[in-house]
Amino acid sequence: MLNTIMVIIGKVFALAIFAPLVSGIIRKTKNTIRMRNGPSVLQPYYNVRKLFLKDEVISKNASWIFYAAPVIVFAGSICALALVLMARPGHLVSNSAAILIAAFFVLSLGRFFMALAGLDAGSSFGGMGSSREVFISSFAEPAAFVAVFVFCMGGGDSFRVSGVLAGFALFMVVIAETSRIPVDNQETHLELTMVHEAMVLEYSGRSLALIELASHIKQMVFFIMLSWCLFPAAGTAPWGWAVFSAEIGVIGIAMAFIEISVAKMRLFRTVDFLSFSFFIALAASIASSLGL
Amino acid sequence: MITFLPKEFFLFDSLTIFFFAVIGLICIPSAIFSIGYLREEALKKKLISWVLLAAFILSMCFVIISGNLFSFLIFWELMSLTSYFLVVLDYKHEKSIRAGTIYLVMTHIGTACLMAAFFILYNYAGSFDYSAVKEAAFALPPSIRNIIFLLLFIGFATKAGVVPMHIWLPYAHPQAPSYVSSIMSGVMIKIAVYGMIRFFVMLLLPAPAWWGAVILVFGIISCLVGVIYALMDHDLKKLLAYHSVENIGIILLGVGAAIFFAARGVIPVAALAMCAALYHLVNHALFKGLLFLCSGSVYKATGLRDIEKMGGLIKTMPATALFFLIGAMGISALPPLNGFVSEWLTFQAFFSGAVESQGAVRIFMIVSAAALALTGGLAAACFVKAFGITFLALPRSARAREAKETGFMMKTGMALLAVPVVIFGVGAGFIAPVILRVSRAVLGVQNAEVSLYLASVLPVLIAVVVLGTALAVFLWFRFCLRTGQVRYNTWDCGYYALDSRTEYTATAFSKPFRIAFSFFLLPYHKSEKIRDSFYHVSKFMYETHTTLVFRKFFYEPLVRFVYSFAWKVRKLQPGSIHLYILYIFITLAGLIALAAIF
Amino acid sequence: MTLNIILIGFLAATFLMVIAKRITALVRTFRIQSIFLFLYTLYMGLCQQHLELFVVCGLVFILKVVVIPLVLLRIMRRINVEEDLGLLINPQLSLVIALIFAYLSYLFAHNAMGLPYSQALIAFIASMTVVCIGFFLMVGRMKALGQVIGLLVMENAIFLAASVIAGGMPFFVEIALFFDIFVFIVIVEVFVYKVNRLFTHIDTSKMQSLKG
Repeated sequence: MLNTIMVIIGKVFALAIFAPLVSGIIRKTKNTIRMRNGPSVLQPYYNVRKLFLKDEVISKNASWIFYAAPVIVFAGSICALALVLMARPGHLVSNSAAILIAAFFVLSLGRFFMALAGLDAGSSFGGMGSSREVFISSFAEPAAFVAVFVFCMGGGDSFRVSGVLAGFALFMVVIAETSRIPVDNQETHLELTMVHEAMVLEYSGRSLALIELASHIKQMVFFIMLSWCLFPAAGTAPWGWAVFSAEIGVIGIAMAFIEISVAKMRLFRTVDFLSFSFFIALAASIASSLGL
Repeated sequence: MITFLPKEFFLFDSLTIFFFAVIGLICIPSAIFSIGYLREEALKKKLISWVLLAAFILSMCFVIISGNLFSFLIFWELMSLTSYFLVVLDYKHEKSIRAGTIYLVMTHIGTACLMAAFFILYNYAGSFDYSAVKEAAFALPPSIRNIIFLLLFIGFATKAGVVPMHIWLPYAHPQAPSYVSSIMSGVMIKIAVYGMIRFFVMLLLPAPAWWGAVILVFGIISCLVGVIYALMDHDLKKLLAYHSVENIGIILLGVGAAIFFAARGVIPVAALAMCAALYHLVNHALFKGLLFLCSGSVYKATGLRDIEKMGGLIKTMPATALFFLIGAMGISALPPLNGFVSEWLTFQAFFSGAVESQGAVRIFMIVSAAALALTGGLAAACFVKAFGITFLALPRSARAREAKETGFMMKTGMALLAVPVVIFGVGAGFIAPVILRVSRAVLGVQNAEVSLYLASVLPVLIAVVVLGTALAVFLWFRFCLRTGQVRYNTWDCGYYALDSRTEYTATAFSKPFRIAFSFFLLPYHKSEKIRDSFYHVSKFMYETHTTLVFRKFFYEPLVRFVYSFAWKVRKLQPGSIHLYILYIFITLAGLIALAAIF
Repeated sequence: MTLNIILIGFLAATFLMVIAKRITALVRTFRIQSIFLFLYTLYMGLCQQHLELFVVCGLVFILKVVVIPLVLLRIMRRINVEEDLGLLINPQLSLVIALIFAYLSYLFAHNAMGLPYSQALIAFIASMTVVCIGFFLMVGRMKALGQVIGLLVMENAIFLAASVIAGGMPFFVEIALFFDIFVFIVIVEVFVYKVNRLFTHIDTSKMQSLKG
């Protein structure tokens, strides 16, 4: 028992440290396609380090929620990572769908407090960001849950039509949840286009570092779930870690390609986007009930 | 104490004791809260409030322990009447009277359906006792049983606030004083769910699967409609009332799934679903009671119910803000509090049900789970709005600026509800097996294989990991990472004139939802320009409204029809006493002629 | 034979009430009708030699022949209202309607009740007619006293019917009935006085203006 706990803690640490690298890889890929040099792959690490060493500027209107939110978001994403690692089919417990759904709930805990913190400073940017963020995430939840259900019902050990469809639906949800184009742009600070960035506009210094780390780890959590959906029956081979990293890398590069190829959607079109993903997930459930 | 009550009238089993626990958990803190709430009122009003409150709570207790259809009806009516009087306690406001009227009419429609169903049952069973009804239920012809089901469902659904009979909830719950709203919303609408469980699961056996499906469908509709209307409302208590509609929908999801799977013979899933429903019942009672008490505290401090005029209350009312946050976290199903456990159990029930079934049933279960996920997300969004706009940022009006924290009694009442919210979440390992026992007793099975291992472990695990990590980070910040902090104005893009008017408003916060759901909400706006001259507009008013669909398309035509019919009947009554005596005479002569012919 | 004569007198008095145009006329014909009722009860008592019947007979005389008309006439003098009864239907038409009632009660008594041709049948027809006429008085007369007299007429007729068909009602019922009537009259006296003082008239058809 204690052994498995130590193994999981170790994995959590490793993946948490690995997480910003994935963001770096995605950004590097985008820049390479755009035929630019861009920052190096390790840039997220440099950013986080820089932010941890800077002072913070805190709004006069802020309350204790402003201070607590980054810590809770970070803790929530670490917890979600631990839960997702525990839910690996066949690993520790068999009721993987239930644990994955618990992971979603833990992530929504973080999102709740981030949205509150966005409203806390009393600026319009924060309110706008909170409003849009909870709007998008509330529509992403049904699709995500159905996709996770369907995938776990399949068992995750071989290629199944339902699994692939569920993976496709989950991919679209991941685009929404990790704030990627076409839902949100991580590199913008224009109020017309910000969603996640608007919520954290007031943050600086070490709180902002925590928030950035948390969003990297959240992205890692979603990528792990995607890798199970899209590449089942892998990761148990002798070179488990290498295969796993390759999968995450492939998903990251795919994400980068999508970010480059399309433009950002209007906010109200994201509802259409996410309901499309819900219907794909529903199609996956129909496929699974047909036994495919 | 239990033994000397006559056995013919009273019935004690697991379900009643469970509901006693729910009543006790909510009513005691609300009563303590009311001591502080009514502190400045006149003695006469205090006495009336407390007597009515005591009568209300006692009648609810007696409804639960009735073993007899007749006493059930009597105490049900008593419960409705006392709550009506409590709703119109502030009879000087015209809104209270209107709310009370709508509530009275709707609850009596429900009671009429109940009475009809009970009398049909009495006809077949020969006596009012539950045991006689249970025996007679086996021999009922299916058509009669379905009619009884429909009548009972309409009756209980009206009281519970299931869409489309929910319209009294957003009128009655805001107008009642907060401690009454918390009991009404926390306990009274659950008594209707008690009735449903008692009659559909325990008495009218065997229940066919389509009953469960009907309850499930109505649960889904109530969830979604309730939460969408809650998002649009900016009156704090009306918002909470709509959330009660939504959560009753969630409870009915569990109850419906339990009946559905019990009818199909998949007992473990049924037990799990019933356990999830009962757990959500007690959880919702706790956090909804807590939220209503907090809103009462806010009302007492500021005199406002409209959240658009509040703001910044977290600095002047920190205790109320903390309790409201706990309640909001509970209702948004955030781990590790209690709402998370019960919604998660409901998801598990749906998932297990989907695994065990094929084809259309599996898709039905998955769609229900998706609906639940959507309402969970929307509920969290709504409470971000409610908590954020009310308590955070700058005050938006003078009254919000001058708010002061409420008294000790009110804080005690709120704390007594906040602590169980946390305990029922983190301590799910202790609470869930108890509720599973009740659920097994309700379904009449003793050895359903339901594993609550995950439910017990996960909340604690999540709490430990989150709090542990948070503590580690906090300590690291405190002792290792000594960076400075500067307090300065919010980023204002260089305008230097930001005040509360540039903050985000609740209407703006919920505007994306209004647009996304506009096919259902049918929003419309009115604008008015007041001009000095053609070139100078001195005032511009813009109002945006959402159409209340049920009121406009269902209830208003009904009311208009009733009124027009009444006007037509009125022509028979010109007020002349001679004509009335003539009516009597004609009726008598007609009856005699009729008797003569036959 | 004597009974038939008394019945004829009873019926004639009723018809006189139907065509009465003034309140005092109505009250006096009510007195005449009660006298005939008294005679009828007296005859029955003499036939059967029951003490109870004599007591009832005495009560009829005291209450219906003496007290009630006196009380009603006293009200009339006190409130000083004009004598016109306020007919909604003119006397000729009222008489035709009364005759129609008589025919209908004959049809009913003969065909529906199935009574053989006998004394009882005639008495029953007479009482039914008078009941209908009592109703008619309540409906067709505007002043409040019209309703009062109508009720009293109905009570008379039912008393007659009961004594013909059932041989009299149980004693206590009759005593109770008399007491009720007495109390009713007292109350009516007070009320009519008050109504007149408040509204300065006792026209019940004006109650329509109270309609909400």
